[in-house]
Amino acid sequence: MGFRSYLLKRLFYAVVVLFVILTFNYVLFRIMPGDPEKMILDPNFTPEAKMELRRQYGLDDPPLTQYLNYMKSLLTFDLGMSFSTRRLVWSELRERLPNTIVLFMVTFVGTAALGISLGVSSAANRGKFSEQLVMGAGLFAHAVPSFFIQLLLLLLFGYYWPILPIHGTISAPPPDGAWAQFLDRAWHLILPAGSNIVIGFGSWALYTRNTMLEALGQDYIVTARAKGLPRREILYHHSLRSVLPPIVTLIFMSLPGAVSGAVITESIFSWHGVGRYLLDATLQMDYPAAQGAFYLIALAVIISNLLADIAYGLVDPRIRVGAGAKR
Amino acid sequence: MALLEVKDLKMYYRTARGHVRAVDSVSFEIEQGKALGIAGESGCGKTSMASALLRLLPSNGSYHGGSVVMDGKELLTMSEEQFRKDIRWKRISMIFQGAMNALNPVHKVGEQIVEAILHHEDVSREQAVKRTHDLFGLVGINPKRFNEYPHEFSGGMKQRAVIAMALACHPDLIIADEPTTALDVMVQAQILKSIAELRQRLNLSMMLITHDLSVIAQTCDSVVIMYAGKVAEYGDVVDVYTRPAHPYAMGLVNSFPNIQAARTEVRSLPGFPPNLLAPPSGCRFHPRCPLADEECKQVEPAVREVGGNKHMVACHKAEIVQQGGDIWSR
Amino acid sequence: MTQNQRTAEKAQVAKAAAAAAPRRLTFWEQYRRKPQGVAGLLIVALYIAVAVFAPVVSKYDPMEDMYLADNIAVPIWLTKVNPRYRELPPTMQFNLGFDSWEVTAADGVEVTGWEFEDAEGISIDLPATEAPEPVEGEDGADTPPDSEDSGELFSIVSNVQWDPFGLVTSGQGTSRDEADEAVSLDFSFDYDYKKPQTFSASMGYHIDAPSDASTFIELDLVTPSGKAFDLWDTTAYGSVSNGSFIVDARDFDLKMRLGISFFDEPADVVFSERGTYTVRVKARSDSVSGPVNVRIEPVSFGVLGLAHGLLGTDHMGSDLWAQLVYGTRIALAIGLSAAFIAVFIGTSVGLIAGYLGGIVDEVLMGVVDVLLSIPTMPVLIVLGALFGKSVMNVVILLALFSWMGIARIVRSQTLSLKERTFVEAAKAAGGSSNYIMVSHILPNTMPLIFANLVLRIPSAILTEASLSFLGLGDPRVPTWGRMLQNARQFGAFTKMAWWWMLPPGIALTGLAVAFVFIGNSVNEILNPRYRERS
Ligand SMILES: Nc1ncnc2c1ncn2[C@@H]1O[C@H](COP(=O)(O)OP(=O)(O)O)[C@@H](O)[C@H]1O
Ligand code: SF4
Ligand SMILES: [Mg+2]
Repeated sequence: MGFRSYLLKRLFYAVVVLFVILTFNYVLFRIMPGDPEKMILDPNFTPEAKMELRRQYGLDDPPLTQYLNYMKSLLTFDLGMSFSTRRLVWSELRERLPNTIVLFMVTFVGTAALGISLGVSSAANRGKFSEQLVMGAGLFAHAVPSFFIQLLLLLLFGYYWPILPIHGTISAPPPDGAWAQFLDRAWHLILPAGSNIVIGFGSWALYTRNTMLEALGQDYIVTARAKGLPRREILYHHSLRSVLPPIVTLIFMSLPGAVSGAVITESIFSWHGVGRYLLDATLQMDYPAAQGAFYLIALAVIISNLLADIAYGLVDPRIRVGAGAKR
Repeated sequence: MALLEVKDLKMYYRTARGHVRAVDSVSFEIEQGKALGIAGESGCGKTSMASALLRLLPSNGSYHGGSVVMDGKELLTMSEEQFRKDIRWKRISMIFQGAMNALNPVHKVGEQIVEAILHHEDVSREQAVKRTHDLFGLVGINPKRFNEYPHEFSGGMKQRAVIAMALACHPDLIIADEPTTALDVMVQAQILKSIAELRQRLNLSMMLITHDLSVIAQTCDSVVIMYAGKVAEYGDVVDVYTRPAHPYAMGLVNSFPNIQAARTEVRSLPGFPPNLLAPPSGCRFHPRCPLADEECKQVEPAVREVGGNKHMVACHKAEIVQQGGDIWSR
Repeated sequence: MTQNQRTAEKAQVAKAAAAAAPRRLTFWEQYRRKPQGVAGLLIVALYIAVAVFAPVVSKYDPMEDMYLADNIAVPIWLTKVNPRYRELPPTMQFNLGFDSWEVTAADGVEVTGWEFEDAEGISIDLPATEAPEPVEGEDGADTPPDSEDSGELFSIVSNVQWDPFGLVTSGQGTSRDEADEAVSLDFSFDYDYKKPQTFSASMGYHIDAPSDASTFIELDLVTPSGKAFDLWDTTAYGSVSNGSFIVDARDFDLKMRLGISFFDEPADVVFSERGTYTVRVKARSDSVSGPVNVRIEPVSFGVLGLAHGLLGTDHMGSDLWAQLVYGTRIALAIGLSAAFIAVFIGTSVGLIAGYLGGIVDEVLMGVVDVLLSIPTMPVLIVLGALFGKSVMNVVILLALFSWMGIARIVRSQTLSLKERTFVEAAKAAGGSSNYIMVSHILPNTMPLIFANLVLRIPSAILTEASLSFLGLGDPRVPTWGRMLQNARQFGAFTKMAWWWMLPPGIALTGLAVAFVFIGNSVNEILNPRYRERS
């Protein structure tokens, strides 16, 4: 199997997942509980709004047509109108998306960088402090509810020792000047992203350490040692390089979880993002908004998954080059 | 003077339940250009000894005495840095047990050889690449496959590549640890043949670890028979095979009537190899030995010479054994 | 040497060797040596004990018993430790039956007990008065004969200057001359704390009287310095059956009645002193045509505490310790059942996919892949909201989105077991697929399944807690996640009520850590990959 067919396969898979999620969305938000009309048509709407919604949702069409239209509208980001704000869901989401992406990226890069480097160093220095730290942090990440840590940080830095902003993405009113605004945003990012990193780096570190140790126990590492390569070379060129594929695997295994965490983080720190929008919309039974946010999140995960798949293919020669002989 | 002299080497593993005495007072020599075979049941410490020679101990392994001298230089006390630069691969290289996994799957096969050359010799990359191509040719791999990854190689080719890699820095001694176990029989024969040829051609010394006694008979000059981390018998292949002095060695040797005969696995004696965490008292072989008596149970036999020609054995009853008669079928 | 002899010898040697070799340790013997594993087991046992004996461990029920104290009361012990919370009042709740009262009665008035439910109420027999003279004197203004309703606001305000904005005076107690009262019942208690935020009183009463009689009942609270606050009074004409009242310091009426401003709290005004307070019930009657009998049910009087119990109270005055204790039940129940269901589904799917292979395998594993790449939390949020917030739904949803990992593991184990001789043999003997899967492959995957089950539990518990925390949990059950959510929503932060937030978080962490410890120990023993590394 060559790289191309691998890519095609992953792409096909992504399309299947997208299709499943669209269908899931469709079923969820109209067929499941009760009468779709009731769900979609808020009784408080004006008759015009009701007409508009009926048209938008094509409630009078046969189911298959409805389904196809629905697919089309989601694919074109025609996500309907929010019950509570009466604004287009897509424009509300578009306004929040950058915030979510910034929080997510900072969290993700920070967690992965801290986790991987700690994992490598603890695998290299067994029995030292870094190893204890990694084991502890790994346990911590598995056993401590993340929102609890975030609440504690909130209590600590928001109330006992109020030095950090505890909600929002930017001060109100925002400071003048692009640079000041940037700093202000970064300032607001500290607690949400920082808490996420604190919570998350442990499992990365533990995973990296374990795969590194496994790699370090492999025959090819013994070979590398026997060849008289220096330690650094063995550690980075041989071990770390060879655990890159499993680490990339971890990236896409942890994506859905990271998204889940983001929803909670956004809600705790009142982050003006997509996750909190989904939660608020759901709690307010604002179906179009909830559906749109859910769709957007799912879509983001699918795309990131696809990117991770490509990255995996690039770092693993068995996939990039394909199998010439049997393994 | 011998190329390599191993004396009283002890290497133990620390475990939760005590020390595993995997290499316990092992002594032997390897002459320049000669091949030494090491035989013994699986788990008797062959691989441990090989890695002890290259100072490749796992994290729980440590030396507990003895010396390894190469060309008059003590290897065990040399600084790690110097040992790494001057000895590993340059003087002693190794073909590992299970060579299937000895190549890093994420690097190109050729590069893994070039890397070894560049780390030990002051040559340009072009020269190293060229030498790698030559080595490929030497072991019978098409040099065009330089840029391929291990998964694109078949098992036999991987093993050849590993041999090429072992030859890369013109070492004096190659340690081959069961170089063919994972391969199918036809390929095994080919590989062994080419190892033997290369050795002749390059005048290499070799330490060949196997539990196939016939392979040793065909390719080696002398042999060490190990039992439970210790040397049971050591000497010229002809001496050991024709006049074994240790009951264990005798059992092994007698189980094939003719040196040239079909291959025979070591594992054919009744009983089990001992637990190296708590080896038996006295002679470690006594629970399985048909000649064992009180003395054997109490007193550990010293390694001593029998019948000249550096034929060494660790048995109280070596003379009785050598008198012949099948002690195993009483 | 015969073949037989040889075999016998061999067997003997083998036996000797087996005897010499150290005996393989049983699972439990190995487990006992793992400090983490033992600690984990002990912790879980502790949680289970707390869950089972919850009614013993906690005096209160987390859902039934509300208003045990004021909202966000601090733990009692904290008032002893932290100067900031020193001398905060505990809850004082008096249920005053006949025995509790000190009776002062005029001549001819008879006060006796009467059975009221479990307690004893007070029965007062007032004799008929001589002549229907109009009432005069100091308290004449209280009871204009045309006033109809006892709760009539202005019946009392007339002689007190009401000053809603606190401009002139605030909180003047009114001393009255008690000469006219036929009966006065006193109950005294000590109050040596800071001011509470609220107090309340309630009482039921019955009057049997001729239709032309007018009966007056009043409830006062008398401060240590002798100021009497008239919390409630009524003048009834004729008989009354099942009369009752409730006074609460938070009621607006009371502010008006006591003549204090909008911005002052009755509790501040009334409990501004320390010492012995007296609850006083007074009654009298004007009745010419015959005697009057007034029956008073046990009076309840209470001060809602600002300090309560081990962990204080939440925003509803519900006991936090009770919530914490009962939360153990829910956490264990949810964790165990979600993990069991998930493991059941995962094992079945893994077995079937691995054993049957082919298209079935591809489809099932495709489903697994798809589910694995869907972010669970958003799905759970949406589904939880749609299907209703019940524990059952949460468990099912948790299970439905967490079986995939197990399915993968069981599948790969099945694939390798499928090739083993005993499975081949069973197949050759004509065993059906179901039979082979259940009796040959399943038992061999058990250790693996068990380790995964144990590790599944904490993540189910934590996920449920997150859902509850986001407001998607079952509102009818007390969970730790909901405690944390309430803490966040209802002011634990502004009050820095760490005793509200720390315990549920620590309880969650402790339980999860314990299960992770157990899971890791089991894994180390059963999964050789871990063993090598020890
Ligand atoms: N890292 C280790 N830790 C503890 N014991 C080990 C380790 N490596 C090998 N052993 C034990 O040492 C003994 C010798 O092993 P080994 O040298 O691999 O034998 P051989 O190569 O002859 O089969 C065996 O009993 C094995 O179980
Ligand atoms: S010393 Fe005794 S037990 Fe050991 S091999 Fe010789 S005869 Fe057997
Ligand atoms: Mg070996």
